[in-house]
Amino acid sequence: MPPLLEMLGIVRTFGAVRANDNINLTVQSGEILGLLGENGSGKSTLMKVLYGMLPPDSGDIRFRDAPLDAKSPFDAIKAGIAMIHQHFMLVEAMTVTENILLGWPGGGQVLKHKQMAEHIRQASRRFGLDLDPDARISALSLGRRQRVEILKAILRDAELLILDEPTSNLAPTEVRELLDIMRRLRSEGKGIVFISHKLPEVLDVCDRVVVLRAGKLAGEAAVASISREQLAEMMVGRNVPMPRVTEGEHRRGALRLSVRGLSATGLSAITFDLRGGEILGIAGVDGNGQLELAEALAGLRPVTDGIVLIGDHDATQASVTARVEMGLAYLPADRSHTALVKAMTVFDNLMLRDSRRPPYGTRALLTPKTGVARARDLMAQYDIRAPGVDFVVGQLSGGNQQKVVIARELSRAPTAVVAHQATWGLDPGATRFVLDQMIALRQQGAAIVYISSELEEILSISDRIAVMAGGAIAGVTPNRNVDLRQIGLWMSGRHA
Amino acid sequence: MSDPSRAVAAAFPARLLAFSGRRQGLGVNIALALALSIVCAAILIALAGRSPLAGFLAILDGAFGSAHQIGAALNRSTPYLLSGVGVAICLRAGIINLGAEGQIALGGAGAAAAALAIPNAPPVVAIVVALAAGALAGAAWSGVAAAIHLGRRVHEVLVTILLNFIALLLVQQLLAGWLGQVGAGFLQSPLMPRGAWLPKMPDFDAHIGILIAVVAALGAWFLIWRTPFGFGLRVAGASRLAAAYAGFSRSQLTWGAMALAGALAGLAGGVEVLGIHRRLIEGFSLGFGFKAVTVALLGATEPLAIIPAALFIGFLETGSLAMQRQIGVPTALVTVIEGLTMIFVLVAMAARRK
Amino acid sequence: MIEFLAASIRIATPILLAALGGILSERAGVFAVGLEGMMLVGAFGATIGTWASDSAYAGLVLALVGGAAMGLVVSVVAVRFRADNMVTGLAANIVALGLTSYLMRIIASSGAPIAIHNTLLPVLPIPGLVDIPEIGPLLFAHPPLTYLTLILCIALTFLLNRTQIGLTLRATGENPEVVYASGLNPLLVRMLAVIACGAVAGLGGAVLSMQQVGTFTDSMTSGRGYLALAALIVGRWTPWGAAAACLVFGAAEAFELRLQGFGVPVSSYVVQMVPYLIGLAVLAGLGRNSRMPAAIGLPLHRDR
Repeated sequence: MPPLLEMLGIVRTFGAVRANDNINLTVQSGEILGLLGENGSGKSTLMKVLYGMLPPDSGDIRFRDAPLDAKSPFDAIKAGIAMIHQHFMLVEAMTVTENILLGWPGGGQVLKHKQMAEHIRQASRRFGLDLDPDARISALSLGRRQRVEILKAILRDAELLILDEPTSNLAPTEVRELLDIMRRLRSEGKGIVFISHKLPEVLDVCDRVVVLRAGKLAGEAAVASISREQLAEMMVGRNVPMPRVTEGEHRRGALRLSVRGLSATGLSAITFDLRGGEILGIAGVDGNGQLELAEALAGLRPVTDGIVLIGDHDATQASVTARVEMGLAYLPADRSHTALVKAMTVFDNLMLRDSRRPPYGTRALLTPKTGVARARDLMAQYDIRAPGVDFVVGQLSGGNQQKVVIARELSRAPTAVVAHQATWGLDPGATRFVLDQMIALRQQGAAIVYISSELEEILSISDRIAVMAGGAIAGVTPNRNVDLRQIGLWMSGRHA
Repeated sequence: MSDPSRAVAAAFPARLLAFSGRRQGLGVNIALALALSIVCAAILIALAGRSPLAGFLAILDGAFGSAHQIGAALNRSTPYLLSGVGVAICLRAGIINLGAEGQIALGGAGAAAAALAIPNAPPVVAIVVALAAGALAGAAWSGVAAAIHLGRRVHEVLVTILLNFIALLLVQQLLAGWLGQVGAGFLQSPLMPRGAWLPKMPDFDAHIGILIAVVAALGAWFLIWRTPFGFGLRVAGASRLAAAYAGFSRSQLTWGAMALAGALAGLAGGVEVLGIHRRLIEGFSLGFGFKAVTVALLGATEPLAIIPAALFIGFLETGSLAMQRQIGVPTALVTVIEGLTMIFVLVAMAARRK
Repeated sequence: MIEFLAASIRIATPILLAALGGILSERAGVFAVGLEGMMLVGAFGATIGTWASDSAYAGLVLALVGGAAMGLVVSVVAVRFRADNMVTGLAANIVALGLTSYLMRIIASSGAPIAIHNTLLPVLPIPGLVDIPEIGPLLFAHPPLTYLTLILCIALTFLLNRTQIGLTLRATGENPEVVYASGLNPLLVRMLAVIACGAVAGLGGAVLSMQQVGTFTDSMTSGRGYLALAALIVGRWTPWGAAAACLVFGAAEAFELRLQGFGVPVSSYVVQMVPYLIGLAVLAGLGRNSRMPAAIGLPLHRDR
C-alpha cells in the first residue's frame, strides 16, 4: 500500500539560509510519526510547506497517492490534511457546535444546529473526546479546546492530522488523555504527525520518529529500536552549553523579598522568602498563576490578601512606581505590549519606567539631554544593536528588544527582580545573554524570582525551585539532586 | 501572554499607533491627502457648472483680499486651534474625545455668565475672569464625560457625543431662562459689558484670541514632549498595558487629558463669545466640535502642526464666503473638503503603519 | 394612549433601521459611528430619487445606493486601510453633511437649496387586522417602510443566528483569524457588512424623508444616527434588543410632544434631553456588563 503522505526532496531557502535542505518524509495511514527538532531546525518550515503556507523551492508532495500542490491551507484542508496549531482557531464566545458549523462545507445556507450537535456527540463518544456540543468555548479548559480542534478535523474527514506542540500548554493528566485520543485516531486509520520536543511523550505514543537538525534530516528510526539518549543526541548533535550555578558559591545577603499568603484573582496564598544573592526558579505549566504572581509582585494586579515586603518596606498596596523606587525590577513576559512600546524609540523605551527620575527627568519635567546621554551609555553597555537611540524598537530583533528591557530594568541596580518568561522566543545566543545577566545580578546580591516554563533554564540557574499549579505553589525544593519525577507530579497539581 | 483578552486590551489602543509612532515623512503624506481633497473639491465645483479655478481664486481673494479678511480668517481659526489642540492631547493618549462641541458651548455660557455677573470690573479683570470661567465650565463638562467613561466603562465616543446633545440643550435652556435677554425674539443673552470684549489687534479685525490660541498650542507642545505627563500620554496612546507597567495611572492620564481638552474647548467658547458675538447666542458652537477633530488630525496630533492646520481651515471657510458671493458655489463645499481631508489623512496615517 | 404609542413607533422606526444596519457592521467588528452620515445620504437619495422620477421606488433605490456608497467609503478606509473606526465614521458623517447640503444647492443652481415637496408614503392599513379594537390601529396602520422595518428585524435575527452568513459575520467580529483559517476572507466579510449597514441605515434616512417629512433639509437626521448607535449597544447587538431600546427613545420623544401639546409648564429643552439622558443612563448602567464583539475596532492583520 502506498504511504498516506510522501514528501520527497523538499528544499526551501530564506535568503542564504536553507531552512529545509532536501528532506524526505513519509507517513502511513494508521501511523503516528514523531517530528523532532530544536527551535529553528526546520520543523515548522516543513509543515508550512506541506500545509500550503509556504511554496517549496523544489521537491514533490504526494498525498493519498496523488500529487498535492497546496497553494494555501484551504487546499490542504480540502485534500484531507488538518493542522492543529498551538494557538487555537476557535471563537471563544460561541459554542462547540457553532465553531464546527463555521465554514462547514456543503451544509447549505441555513444552519442545522441539532443535526450537527448529534454528529458531535457521536464522534465525541467514538474518539473519547468527552465534549458537550452546547458548551461555550470560553468555558472550556485548554485541553478541551484542543479536542474541539481535533473534532473539527475529524468531522471534516481529515486523513492526516498535524499536531504542533500539542502538549505544551497541558497539565500531565490532560497530556495522557491526549495521547489516548491520538491512539484511537490511529486505530481508526488516521495518519498523525506529532511535532514535539518532549522525548518521553514521543517515545510513548509514536511509531516512528524523524529528527531534523539545522534544516537537514538528522535521522529516522522506529521508536521500538531507539533509546531516549540516542534521540536526544540526534536532535542536539552536541552538548548545549548551559550556565550552572551551585549553591554556596557566595554568601547569602539580607532578606530582600518576603511574600506571605499573597492572594489575588487567579492566585492563592503564595508564601516565600528570598535573600540577596538567591534565585528562586518558578516552574510550572503556563497558565497556572505565573502571570498573576508576577503582576501581583509588580503592583499590576490588585492583591486581595497577604503581604509583600520589598526589603524593609511593606509594598502590599504600593504603586508600580513606589515598588520601582523600593528596588524592584520587573521583566514581563508580554514584551510586545507591556514591557515595550514597539512604536516608540529605543530612548523612549529605556526611560519608560524612569521618566520622573534623573537622569531622564524630574517629577514635572523631562530632561532630554542627560536622558539621551544615559540611553547612549546603556546601548553600549548592554550591546543593544540599533542604529541610534531614536530608532523604533519594533524594528529590532527579539533579542535586542529584550536587551532594551534588561538594560532599563537591571541598570537601576535593583535589589529584587521578577523575571517572567524572560527568554521566550529568543535564539540560543540571546537566551544565554539573559541567563548570564541573571547570574551576574545574583552575584551582585539581588534577589531574583525567575518564572519560566522552560524547566531546563530553571534547573540551570536556580538556587531553589518552586512549582506552581492551579494558582498556588505546589512544592518547593532546593536545586540539589532534584527529583524530576516529583517536579512533574507537582506540575500536575498534586501537592507534596 | 496566553490570555487573549489581554492581547486585545493591548492592541486596542494600538489602533492609534500612527498618532504616537514614527512621524518622518508624515508631512508629505498629509500634503498629498490635502491635495487629493482639493482635487475632489474642484470636481464638485465643476459639477455645479462653475470653473474650479475661479472658485479657488475667489476663496483666495476672500481669505487674503484685505486686512479685514485676514483678520476675520484669524478669528475663525481661533476656536478650531484651541479645541483642536485639546482633541489632539486626548488622541495622544488614545482617547477619542468628540465632545468639543458641548464643551465649547458650555465654555461660552460660562464666560458669558461670568462677564455678566461682574459688569463693572476693569477690562483686564473682566476678560481674565470670564475666560477662566469659560475654561472651567468646559473642563467641568469634559469631567462629566471622563467620570462616566472611567466610572462606568462606557466608550468615550458615545459618552462625549451624547453629552454634546445635552450640552447644546442645556445652553438653550440657560438662554431661555436666567441668561437670556427678555424679549429678544431669539435665544440670546444680553450684550456683554464692554470691559469684557476682547481687544482687537490694530489694522486687522482680529481679536487677541489667536494669540492666546498659539500660546496654548506651544504649551501643549511642551506638555507632550517635555513633561513626564506628556510622555505618559504618548505611552498610553500606544499601549495601555505598557502605560500601567510604566506606572502611569490610566485614570489620572484620562482625567488630565480630558480636563485639559475641556478647558481648551471652554476657552475657545469664551473667546468666541467675548471676541466675536459679544453675547451668548444659540448654536454659536454648531459644528465646531467636529472641526476640532479635523484640525487635530490634519495636524497629525502635533500641536505645532495644528497651528497651520487650524489656519488653513479658518482661511478656507472665510474664503468660501466670497466664493459663494462671487460665483455662487455653496459654502457647504468647505464641509465636504474638511470631511474628505480627514478621510484622506486617516488613510495616509494608516498606510504608514506596518 | 394609542396615539402616544403610535407616535413612539413612528419616531422609533428610522432609528431602529439605522440600528439594524449598525448591528450588521458592529457584529462584523466595525464600529458604526458613520450611521448618521449613512442615514443622511439615504434621506437625501430618497428625496432626490422620488422627486426626479416621481416614483417612490426610485427614491428607495437611491436611498439604498446612497447609504451603501457611504458604507463603501467607510469600509475602504476603516477596513481595507485599517484606519481608526471611530474617526473614520465621524469623517464620513462630515462628508455626508457637506455633500448633501452642497448638492441640494447646486441642483437648483441658484445657491439656495432646491424646494422639493414629495407626497408622503401612504398609510397601508392591513385589511382585517386593522379592525381589531385598540391594537388594530396601533399595530396595523402604518406606512410601508414601518412594516419593512419589522420584517427586517425578524430577517436579521434569523440571518445572524440561523445561517452560515450570520455565523461567519459574527465570527468575524469575534475572531477574524478563525474566519480566515476556515477558508473565508474576513476583510471581505467586514467590507460587505459595512456596505450592507450603509444600505439599511440609508433606508432609515428614507423613512424620515419619505414617510415623515416629505423633503430633505440640511442635517435632518439631527443625531438619530448616534441614538441608533446607543440603541444597538443598549440592545446588546441584537435586533429585538435594539428595537426595544428604540421604542424607549421613541416614547421619550413622543412624551415630550404630548407635554408640549398639553401646555405642561416643563421646559421643552429639558424634555428634549430625555432620550439622550436615558441612553447615557442605560449605557452607564450596563457599564462593565456589556460584552462587545471581541474583535470590534481591531484592524485585520496586514497579510490577511
